[in-house]
Amino acid sequence: MDIRSPLPGVFYRRPAPELDPFVGVGSPVGPDTTVAIVEVMKQFFEVKAGTTGTIAGVAVADAEMVDAGQVLFTVRPG
Amino acid sequence: MVRRSFGGDDHIFVEFDEEMNLAATFRAMAVTATLAERRIDGVIDICPANVSYQVRFDPDLVAPQELEAELESIEDGVGDGTGFDLRTTIVEVPILYDDPWTRETASRFRSNRQDPEATDLEYAARINGFDAAGDFAAAHAGSPWIASMVGFVAGLPFLFQMVPRERQLEVPKYLSPRTDTPRQTIGHGGCFGSIYSVRGAGGYQMLGITPAPIYDPTQTHPDFADSLVFFKPGFIVKYLPIDREAYDELTAQVEARRFRFRQAPVTFSLGRFLADPDGYNRGLMEVLDGG
Amino acid sequence: MAVSVLNPGLSTTVQDAGRPGYYNVGIPPSGSLDQYSSLAANLLVGNGEDAAVLECTYMGPELRFERPATVAVTGADLPPRLGGEPRPTWESFGVEAGDVLSFDFLRSGARAYLAVSGGFDVPVMLGSRSTYALGALGGVEGRALAAGDELPVGDADGAAPGRSVPEALRSTHPKHREIRVMMGLYDHRLTGEGRRAFLDAEWRLTTLADRTGFRYRGAALEFRERVAPFGAGSDPSNIVDAPYPIGSIQIPGGVEPIVLHRDAVSGGGYVMVATVISADMDDVAQSAPNSTTRFVEVDLDGALGARRRRAARLDALREAVG
Repeated sequence: MDIRSPLPGVFYRRPAPELDPFVGVGSPVGPDTTVAIVEVMKQFFEVKAGTTGTIAGVAVADAEMVDAGQVLFTVRPG
Repeated sequence: MVRRSFGGDDHIFVEFDEEMNLAATFRAMAVTATLAERRIDGVIDICPANVSYQVRFDPDLVAPQELEAELESIEDGVGDGTGFDLRTTIVEVPILYDDPWTRETASRFRSNRQDPEATDLEYAARINGFDAAGDFAAAHAGSPWIASMVGFVAGLPFLFQMVPRERQLEVPKYLSPRTDTPRQTIGHGGCFGSIYSVRGAGGYQMLGITPAPIYDPTQTHPDFADSLVFFKPGFIVKYLPIDREAYDELTAQVEARRFRFRQAPVTFSLGRFLADPDGYNRGLMEVLDGG
Repeated sequence: MAVSVLNPGLSTTVQDAGRPGYYNVGIPPSGSLDQYSSLAANLLVGNGEDAAVLECTYMGPELRFERPATVAVTGADLPPRLGGEPRPTWESFGVEAGDVLSFDFLRSGARAYLAVSGGFDVPVMLGSRSTYALGALGGVEGRALAAGDELPVGDADGAAPGRSVPEALRSTHPKHREIRVMMGLYDHRLTGEGRRAFLDAEWRLTTLADRTGFRYRGAALEFRERVAPFGAGSDPSNIVDAPYPIGSIQIPGGVEPIVLHRDAVSGGGYVMVATVISADMDDVAQSAPNSTTRFVEVDLDGALGARRRRAARLDALREAVG
């Protein structure tokens, strides 16, 4: 299971630079869990997990640019 | 000295001078006014600017080289601009210097500014060699300004004060632009003044604010019945310093849709201005007082 | 009211063929950034070429139709769903009263165009329905759509669903583009090295890519030393404020070139070194952040030739769909 970016932009793992990441490997997620922020045109869009399971991998480094549809996290179902 | 360049296949750009001067401004106004009168098929936008102008055109309707030749012949006819009489409008713009709103905005952008401890007006006064902010304001309001260009955003005039070079007020822009500027802020950056027509980003130092709208997309204010933009290139501005009480009174008039600018038609001759700037300016301001 | 906005998407605006003629007072032409796709959408639903469409940026809106209509989605590959069921792009389809139109994630490109038979009938301002948000002009109250907006739709001529743009006439959206430019304006301010770097660099589009301008990153460009002329700023990339052509490329500070598009600021104090030719402005519009671009120099004849080929392609589109 993958969580993909809904839009192109800059991928942020944290709500603010001094705060902890939304999720990391091992974090449980549900459909409405916010897992990241993608910024484009100075607008910040919260990415939801959209599935239930455990984060198995983080595919993109913090503050890197991503394409729409690019895999951000892999999720182990359950 | 005239430099022409195509901006893609649908713009032509002409620069008269690299440095700001009124003769170049007038050449741009004279050439663009003449071009507009010729009503050439395919010409879409004619934009005079400070020392240059630009024409946006449809190359399917007018060949780029033909348009360039046409412009060249108009430029030759206009010459150095001193013989061109500009029929325009002089308008009185009330200004509250050192107002609370631009002060508050400036305080939010301390790290963007050269002197965070001073107000923008105090900083402008100091680097222009004035002892007090009031002296700078007196020089700012003491001689008229010409809208040498309208643009950046809808209806925003670039204003150049009509005084000899040694009396030009010059203030550097902010170190980095603000993300916010109150609507109707009166700003100054480099040798240019401006009036911010809409709220938004900006880099000019903020000297004061006017209660009068200069852009009205709703066209509900009396001065905007025919156009949602008040300023046209070539308009002449005389600032009227006002106090807070007058500001509040004028604001009430604006809100009641009763405010009207004091304005009068005027013909501006660059040649006569250059011969005696202060005398000519006094004559200009009297037109307004007579009207 | 014929269409209700349930979710506006990221930035969705009403646009049409544009608002020419007011650039001299700072009001830019506006209109759909990708005019080719916008025209295709109108033709698919039987609209006139000046009908207003929705320009959906990076993300689609969610809309409920309050009466039957024919709709079409073109431009970026932003797959539509009607009541959850997939619908094609570049092809018209019917909707019934109560149907909800939504979109999957963007697959390629940047801006999708949604036309509805009859056109979005917001008030005409200065000859156009286009939204110019910076000036709070046109569209819905001069702004991008918001949840709860009700969009009026004009009377349709009764176009039937099922019209389709032939494959060869559909736009494609590669991750790397070559955008043709004419050098000029203030390119003499660049050093020879700066000019070469501008044309050689692979420019990556940043997230600052909106209707006003597209900002790229990829190389630092060198300007010639000079004494600052009176009225120009002190930075070598400053000029006495001048008009900005639509499509012109300015380089504030010598880094991060910006291509101005149809909501351009009409002038300012930064050197411009080139202008995107008119035929390639649609391609700029479909560039997404993180995609790459190389600027390729052509001369005026090359630009006019490209313009003629684009006009022929527009005619082919009218022939095939209209």
